[in-house]
Amino acid sequence: MDLPGYYEYYCGVKIIAGHDALEKIPGLLQDLHASRPMIVTDKGVAGAGLVDIVLGAVKDQLTIGAVSDDVPPDSDLRVVNRLAALYREQGCDALIAVGGGSVMDTAKGINIVVSEDADDLMKFSGAGALKRPLKPLVAVPTTAGTGSEVTLVAVVKDHERHLKMAFVSYFLLPDVSILDSRMTLSLPAAITAATGMDAMTHAVEAYYGLSKNPLSDATALAAIRLISGNLVEVTRNPADREARLAMANAAALAGMAFSNSMVGMVHTLGHATGSVCGVPHGACMAILLPYGLEYNRHKREAVMGELLFPMGGSDVFARTPKEQRVDRVIAYIRQMNQDLHDASGGRHARFFKEVLDREGKRAVARERLPDIARTALGDGSIFYNPEDLDYDDFLMVLEAAWEGVALDPDRIRK
Amino acid sequence: MNILREIQPSSKPVKRAYVALMLWFVGRAIEAAARVDGAVKAEFDGLSPGFTFSLGVMPQGPMMIVGKDDQGLVRYLGWNPEGQKIDLKMKVKNLEGAILMFTFQESTALATARNRLIVDGEVPAACAIVRVLDIVEVYLLPKLIAKLAVKRYPDWSFGEKIWNRVRIYAGAVLGL
Amino acid sequence: MFQPQSAYAFYSPTKVLSGNKALENLPVELDGMNAVKPLILTTPVLSARGMEKVMESAFGDSNLTIGVFAGVPSQPDLRLIRELYGLYRDNGYDAIIALGGGPVMDTAKALNVAVSGRPEDLESLADRNPLTKKLRPLAAILNLDLSGCEMTRYASLGSLSLTSPALIPDLMIIDSRTVPAEEHKTMAATALMSMTQAVEACLHPARNPLTDAYAYGAARFIMENITNVLKNPSERKGRLALANAAFFAQTSFDNLAPGMVYELGMAISRSCQTNPGLIMGLLLPHFLLLEMRKEIATRNDLYLFIGGPEAFAGTMAEASSRKAVDRIVEILLELQSLVVDFPRSIRDLGIKKEDLEGLIVQGSAAGVRGEYDPQDIRNILEKAWETRF
Repeated sequence: MDLPGYYEYYCGVKIIAGHDALEKIPGLLQDLHASRPMIVTDKGVAGAGLVDIVLGAVKDQLTIGAVSDDVPPDSDLRVVNRLAALYREQGCDALIAVGGGSVMDTAKGINIVVSEDADDLMKFSGAGALKRPLKPLVAVPTTAGTGSEVTLVAVVKDHERHLKMAFVSYFLLPDVSILDSRMTLSLPAAITAATGMDAMTHAVEAYYGLSKNPLSDATALAAIRLISGNLVEVTRNPADREARLAMANAAALAGMAFSNSMVGMVHTLGHATGSVCGVPHGACMAILLPYGLEYNRHKREAVMGELLFPMGGSDVFARTPKEQRVDRVIAYIRQMNQDLHDASGGRHARFFKEVLDREGKRAVARERLPDIARTALGDGSIFYNPEDLDYDDFLMVLEAAWEGVALDPDRIRK
Repeated sequence: MNILREIQPSSKPVKRAYVALMLWFVGRAIEAAARVDGAVKAEFDGLSPGFTFSLGVMPQGPMMIVGKDDQGLVRYLGWNPEGQKIDLKMKVKNLEGAILMFTFQESTALATARNRLIVDGEVPAACAIVRVLDIVEVYLLPKLIAKLAVKRYPDWSFGEKIWNRVRIYAGAVLGL
Repeated sequence: MFQPQSAYAFYSPTKVLSGNKALENLPVELDGMNAVKPLILTTPVLSARGMEKVMESAFGDSNLTIGVFAGVPSQPDLRLIRELYGLYRDNGYDAIIALGGGPVMDTAKALNVAVSGRPEDLESLADRNPLTKKLRPLAAILNLDLSGCEMTRYASLGSLSLTSPALIPDLMIIDSRTVPAEEHKTMAATALMSMTQAVEACLHPARNPLTDAYAYGAARFIMENITNVLKNPSERKGRLALANAAFFAQTSFDNLAPGMVYELGMAISRSCQTNPGLIMGLLLPHFLLLEMRKEIATRNDLYLFIGGPEAFAGTMAEASSRKAVDRIVEILLELQSLVVDFPRSIRDLGIKKEDLEGLIVQGSAAGVRGEYDPQDIRNILEKAWETRF
């Protein structure tokens, strides 16, 4: 195990996991001196009956101050302010965020407003603007992938002023994250697959990235082991509670890994593809992950080879000579995408030209690739990638990922 | 034995002076590089009019400030942030971290990976400035050292950029 | 490896800064917690070894004022806490930095309870009343002379024993300047304590993916570095790895109930004034042989932690736990050859055969997990008494 010359690591979120972890919320809130939480969620989550499950688990022991399912798919400043007002009106003293990334972002935004008594959220963006603990926040993730239940970032969009505000602070970390298998049992196969590959990407990029450290390594390895052993299985058999819980664990572990060692070019390109073409984040991650491995391979051969152990297991690892391990790792990820494609009835895309939008049309037109490459130049995740990429490199990777062909090793500038 | 000592730790004038000198040098080199290198110029052209950034050391400097003027020309704006509107602040967390960077024991990428810097401002602008700093480092440093400082050393031919290098040095040292 | 436990809780609120110039980041980290005037606690010995100077230099150019109290004794008591409470209040400190392990950390944790509320809160906490306030910032600077509880929720002060997750330090700093080479016996004891905590976490019935991850990191670092550091104490990276391992091991230990070897080691240590880490090292192989005989279902991946992926994958499944025990015994034998007057059995520590009965009673009573068969404890203690490794 490698010890870098310097590293930092922090994840002060209490993790509560289990098939009946939700039932622990009242006691946990009591430890945090709160008794009247507001539940924040979105229509999709509420419509799937997940809020009812949460309410059922806590209602005998807890007064719920307010429930709102108003969070839009894209976090929004007006919604943050409106829900903060509701929180105050109802005299709430804690937040329970039930949902995915946007719900977590919104809850974190509300928390800044109500804790700091802020009229302008903007004042609290930027490093070091928050200096003290906020109100208790309990995160209940309803997908197994984003890891936002253990991350310290919140992004809130001001759609009127066309601003994207990013908040980064340890005080934004949830106090508690609840990993309960019931929250993901009804997740459709394609979303299970894409979000699971999002978690896989977090772990893999954390493991080969420039900020890797012993704790991000250990959590990443654990996450990869769990995903490799459960994701295809649970996509085939969505009602498998054990596999659901394993994936919830994996997503949180991968979240800890990447929020401490950061991510690289797979995210750089994924963010850009998402913002230019609106492709869901998980789908981008699944498609781009093999290319992150191929592109950075010459800088990270030994480290990437180690990934075969948690992916393929002992026997495969022992049988594969060292110089072939990275090939096997890359092949393993591609095979996973293929298996998930099959298990989801073809809805899990393997390359960009296969991605469809809501109307069933091709979501990524080939002509848009230069736009994506240009957007990628402005994404901070590139700092943590082992090898450098300029516009031409981004475009080369995008073209390969669009077609679904391997990178030509001779075109990777070293 | 059980006495309490209150200590006012001293400052580190030699290290401060060294970092201040390096910042002054890099600031003026950026100004010069924006005139002679197409890639650096293109990066600044992509930033908003009047864009200004600072690179400095916490908690109390030294610091350098570089920004675009009304004509879009890149200017070294000195060390004093007072009265300047700074869009992007890059702050090294402490003097020792700055020493690691400016004695080239840690590259910009490694310093970022090790969380030595705090970046306050728009991320795309920060990305552009880091690319500028990388290019300027390649100009200023001997290849052996610059290779450690950047992830991928550009495949510039020897003759191609030598004239640029002379002009950037002249600009940084002599202000030409 | 890393199988999910169906239900678990895990908590580690410490931010880690480890490596080159880690100490210089203290001012920024304190500022992030709204603290500007820390009080550093340390021992006369560490102060005499120049640690105070190191801290002064680390805060150089920060504009902050620091206080240094270098009088923490080996047995801190309530009187000391009251004295420090006065100093802290009167001089306007707003954070505590514990420089050193064992008694320094105990003092720092207790003082933090006092200054975050009132000194009386200590007795209240010792009476198992939970803390109701968030404590002031507490930073720990670890070295290789550790008790095994520095980064946990436990502290003891004379007869008071304090337990609360709020006691866990907010920050932990590992920097080669404050992790000097200690005496061989001290470093061996610290590493064996970590090893015991990691191995018992790996065999624990309530293990979970996170305790596994921390125990894995601890075991790997110890196995890769312990003999190198003892052969060549000037090897900085190895010392830093062992200090990291101590934190990882303590964190997994803190999230599970203490194991049998730990409990017995502490009980024996109380009766013979020997560093508990050394005693645990003597008990560990006997405990593992017993576990192997009992065919504990989760035992099979111990060798992954001890030997690493390459060795583990290259070993037949049925042989792997035997290999793990062999490897641990090998390390112990190496330590014995490297450390002057390393005990060979608990008999060497002055424990008499008739003392074992009392220890068996203590051990069975102490088992928080409540599943130890007194017969098992007898078995281990007798083996560790009779057999000289």
